[in-house]
Order: sequence, then structure tokens, then C-alpha cells
Amino acid sequence: MTVADVLLLALGAVAVGAGFLVVTSAHLVRSGLYLVVSLGAIAGLYLVLGAELVAWVQILVYVGAVVVLLLFAVMLTRAPIGPSPDLDRPAVPAVLVGGGAGLGLAALFADAFRWVRYPAPEPGTAERVGEQIFGAWVLPFEVLSILLLSALVGAIVLSRPDIGARTPAVAEEHEAVAEQNKAVAEEHGQEV
Amino acid sequence: MPLWLDLLIRVAAVLAGFLVLPLVVGQAEHKVMAHMQGRVGPMYAGAFHGWAQLIADGVKFVQKEDITPHDADRTVFRLAPIVALFPYLVVVMTIPIGPGLVAQSLDIGLFLVLAVLGIGVVAVLMSAWASANKYSLLGGVRGAAQLLGYELPLVLAAASVAMAAGTLSLPGIVEAWQPWWLIWQAPAGLVFFIAGLAEIRRPPFDMPIADSELVFGYMTEYTGLRFAFFLLAEYVGIVVIAALTTVLFLGGWHGPMEDQLGWLWTLLKIGALSFVIIWLRVTFPRMREDQLQRLCWLVLVPVALAQLVLTVAVKALT
Amino acid sequence: MSENGERMMPGKGLLDGLAVTLKTLTRRAGTQQYPDVQPDLPPRSRGVIALSEENCTVCMLCARECPDWCIYIDSHKEEVVVPGAARARQRNVLDRFDIDFSLCMYCGICIEVCPFDALHWTPEFEYAETDVLDLLHDKNRLGEWMRTVPPPPAHDVLGEPSKEEATAARKAAGPGAATAAKTARPAAVRTTPGTPAAPAPPPTPVTPPEPRPSAEEPGPEAGR
Repeated sequence: MTVADVLLLALGAVAVGAGFLVVTSAHLVRSGLYLVVSLGAIAGLYLVLGAELVAWVQILVYVGAVVVLLLFAVMLTRAPIGPSPDLDRPAVPAVLVGGGAGLGLAALFADAFRWVRYPAPEPGTAERVGEQIFGAWVLPFEVLSILLLSALVGAIVLSRPDIGARTPAVAEEHEAVAEQNKAVAEEHGQEV
Repeated sequence: MPLWLDLLIRVAAVLAGFLVLPLVVGQAEHKVMAHMQGRVGPMYAGAFHGWAQLIADGVKFVQKEDITPHDADRTVFRLAPIVALFPYLVVVMTIPIGPGLVAQSLDIGLFLVLAVLGIGVVAVLMSAWASANKYSLLGGVRGAAQLLGYELPLVLAAASVAMAAGTLSLPGIVEAWQPWWLIWQAPAGLVFFIAGLAEIRRPPFDMPIADSELVFGYMTEYTGLRFAFFLLAEYVGIVVIAALTTVLFLGGWHGPMEDQLGWLWTLLKIGALSFVIIWLRVTFPRMREDQLQRLCWLVLVPVALAQLVLTVAVKALT
Repeated sequence: MSENGERMMPGKGLLDGLAVTLKTLTRRAGTQQYPDVQPDLPPRSRGVIALSEENCTVCMLCARECPDWCIYIDSHKEEVVVPGAARARQRNVLDRFDIDFSLCMYCGICIEVCPFDALHWTPEFEYAETDVLDLLHDKNRLGEWMRTVPPPPAHDVLGEPSKEEATAARKAAGPGAATAAKTARPAAVRTTPGTPAAPAPPPTPVTPPEPRPSAEEPGPEAGR
């Protein structure tokens, strides 16, 4: 057992343990922080495997993502300190779905690659990753970037109702207001 | 030289730089800010122009009571200052001072620096939420919005210079640097410096702290040594941003007699940039939250993107 | 925005601000090193009020005018037998003259109303106490402050002449010249010989440090 093996096992244990805490913890914000630990441990795994670039990208991207998640957790709730059981859901279906999928995938991987030996690939330096992405995988890369761009534009359009035509909801509201005005006017007429 | 001795020297050098440079910058801030405001600043500690003021402050912080609020989430509250300080320690390790003078030379040091600097947001949110104080929480949410926003121009500006140099290694970028890059990469350098200021939450970008409206933002509930950790993180942040700007945009150790005096050039440039950071703090009032976001998204990001186009164009032509 | 040069260059205001702070950095700081070096106070500093006990006639004007009622005066009458006089004269003797500086708001009204110059401003300010009750200064303590009263400032060369000087000048010039003397400059007045109120007129008209302690006190002959 080499140092790399030990590190892999330890980081894997940290990642899995923190992930377990993410889903079991009743502390809302803390479970987000456990997610940081879990994703950080995964970045460590990449590092041990020699994929430096992927490891740092993992930290750069996912830490930011988790911060956004934490912000939602803080802003959509009362940002409680301590456990908040009222925000919990029954665990059984989640355990069934999540555990089943995880175990099934693990069994599948173990079964498929158990007896196969692969030579260790070269370390995933920035140069190699760049060559691969912009060489062999350039089409999927570009398609993905277009997908992300359209998602971005869509998010902006959805979050700004002042772009584009009047939405049906606003039109309905206008009609409702008009009817109300009419009713009020009629009432006034009767009184007079 | 045996491996362990080499390692020990490197770690000791990084720790010494990590502890001494922020103190120097902090003392410089005391005195420069005082004189810019027509005062003289600390004069008593250490007998000569108050040179030992920050040491005295440190001693004072150690003696103070370590208070954790009753309703706070104790673990997260206590962990936050360390999470705030730790990324900067990692970043200091990768900054090259002179030719071959770097604690840990990495193939993709730039990426590491940017990734690790991003962890600071987590520390802000941790301290803000765990304090169980509405001012802290407001400061933390402001801080998160600011840090997430300004990370984008920071990364884009750094990407521009990485493209120009054709490498992601910090010493590699310095080696590839030419004097005419000062003009070519000037917009990116400005964007990087301003976004870096916002990343370390220095005035005029100190809306998350905003002592006139939020008491002290996410640091409100901290006392004693933990508060000192946050302050140390701020001053290490100054050093780190100045050093990164030096390395990426001002040519690091390049200068007359760079073979012998390269380290001196780097330190001089870092010192000059730190002075500018202090200068900006003294001169400009705090930006309002909407102005802050406006500057980021409507000025810095477009300028950084335009700089990327310019870099590609010049790179393709030459 | 506007074309008349107000905001010609964007960012000019920012640069101007930077220039201001940099300029201040190069100038000497205005800090006074107070506990090490005594501060350089202006001559009319209102530090503490001193009492010249001999001048006090217990007229109680100061105590009555004080907006804070922070002056406490007790006295009794004494008979002074003057040889040759028909009956003994009565004289007020001061028993107690206290100023409570925890109440005093340093308005200086008591000093202005005092007809006999018994109260004076002094620039001394180092009389802080750890107990607020100790801020009640009795007449001995107030008398000690007299040592620190600075000499009165010289007469303003450009100011109006004092009433004594004007009256003397009028008398010297004889009837009919009164209006001219009243509006005359003090330099012109002082050249007239034999003015009774101004002791020892200087040979040259422009000598600012001229202590004239009695000039501010309006004499009975000042012509009300």
C-alpha cells in the first residue's frame, strides 16, 4: 500500500462521511458547510490522482456554487442556528432512492472493472487537458458552452419581467383591476 | 541539502514572510494614513515613532477575553477565522520573489491562487451566519454578493495575462513578461487590482464591514485572538493582492541587476502597491452597495472581456 | 456632463482626491504633542476662572447672571471705624466664593459683568478630577489661578479708541471738536499729550505689546 493509496482512502472516507452528514444533518447551514468539506475532499482525490487542473477547477467552481447554495439556505429560511426539524422530510424514500442508486452504481463499477488493469495515465496537466479539450473533444465542449450560454440568457430573461411583452399574469391582473373599478363605479352610481 | 532541511527552510521562510510582511504593511498603514490626515499616528510604543504598535496590539489581543455569543453556532464560529486566514498562507507559498526563489513552484500556480482565494467567501459566510447577529448576517450576505461578483473580473484579468504568457505558472508568467506588456495588459492589470481590492474587502469596497451601518459586519461578534486573525487575514490579503499584481502585471523581479537584486525589486513593487492600497483607502469614501455591483458588472467585467479580445488579437498578430 | 468644463474628464475627481491626500502626506502634521510638550494656546483661551479676592465687593452680579447658577457667594458686613468720620463705614467681607466647574459652561458672563475685574479667564486647563465633587473650587483655589492670568492683550490698533482716551482727547481739544476726536484713530489720539487714562504713551504709535491693565475698567469720569 503506497502513500497515494492511503491518501486516496482517507480522502474518500472524508468525502463520503461529509456527504453522509450533508444529508443527515438537521442543521441547515451546517449541511451546506459539510458539502464544502465533501467537495474539497474530492478535489484532494483529483490531486492525488495527478489531475491538478481538475482539482483546482473543482475548488474554484464548486466552492462558489456552494456559497450560492448557502446564500439560498440563509435567505429562504430564517437562517436558524441549531437543528431545524420542521424543514426536514421523511428520510425513508430518500435513503431508498439515493442509497439504492449509489450501491447499484458501485456494484456495477466493481463488477465491470474488477479484473481489468489499466496503465496509469499521464498526469492531467493544464497543457494536456487543453490539448484534449480543444483537439479531440472540441465539439462536445462547444455544444456544452452553448448550452450554458443559453441557460444564462434564459435565467436573465426569466428574472427580468421588464424584458419582452406583457406576460399573461400581468394582463390578468390588469383585467381584475379594471373590473374592480367598474364595480366601484356602479356602486357609486347606485348611491347617487 | 537533505529534503527535510530544504522543506524546513521553505516553510520557515513562508511563515516569516506571512507574519512579518503584514505587520510592516499594517504599521505603514498606521503612519501613512495618519500623515495623510494631518496626524502623526502612533508615537509611543517602541519609543521611536511607535514602530512596535502592532506588536503591542497583538499582545493586547491575546490578553482579551475570548467571547463566543450564547446563541452562536460555536464550532462554525470558532472555525471561521482560521478558514479566513488559511487560504492566504497557501497563496503566499506559491508567490515567486526572485528567479528560482519560490516556496512551492507549481505548474498551474495561477489556478491554485485563484481557487484558494475563493475560499475566503466561505469564511465570510461562516462567521456571518454563526454569529447569530443580524448585522453580521447582513454583512455576510453583502460580502458573499461582493466576493462572488468580483471573482469574475479577477479571474478574467488573470486569464488575459496567462494567455499572453502562454503558461499558468507564476514564475513562468514573470519570465515571459516584457516591459511593453505594461501597456498591452494595463486594462487587465487595473481590473485585477480593483477586483483584488474588492476581494480583500478593503475600503472603498468595505461594504460588508461598513462600520457606520453594520457595526463591524461579519466580524462584529469576534474578540481577542479570533478578531486578530481576521485582521491579520486582511493585511495578508493586502500583501497577497499586491504581490499577485506585481507578479502578473508588473513583471515581478524584472529590473536593473535582476540576477542579484530580483527579490528586492519584487519586494519594492509589492511595497509600492501596498502603499497605493492604503492611499486609496484614505482617499475614497465607501461605495454604496448598488454602486459596488454596478462597477463590477458594468465596468470591470466588460473591460476584462475586451482585454481578453485584445490579448488574443495581439497574440495572433505577433 | 455639462460642456462648461465641470466634468471634462471622467475620473478627474478621483485623481484630485488622490492628489489632496498625497499633498497632505508631504506636509507636517498639525499634531501637538500635548503631554510631552505644553500646547500653544491662543491668548484668550477659556481654561478656568480666577478670582482676585481683593477686587471683589460682593455685589453678587456674577452669581445672579450665571446661567447655570454655579457661583456660590456668602459674605457678612463689617464695620470699619475711620478716624475723623462721623460714623463707622460698612464693608462687605467675602466668606465664601465657590465656582462649581462641573456645572460651569464657560460662557464667561460672570467675567464680563464683574464691575471691578475680580474674575479673569486663565488658559490653565489641567484641573481634571477623579471625583466630580472636587470640581467645586473654593476662593483659595480660585485665587491661586490668579498667578496664571496672562496680561491683557494690547489694544487693537485698528479698533475704536477707548472711552477714556476719547474723553481725554475731547477735553484736550476743547469744546466743539468732540465729534472729530470721537471718530479719530487711536494712533492719532495717542499723540496728544497728557491723556490721563493711558499711562506712559509710547514714543512711536505702533507698538502692539502694550500692557494697559486699567484701560478696560470704565472709570466714573468716563462720561456716561
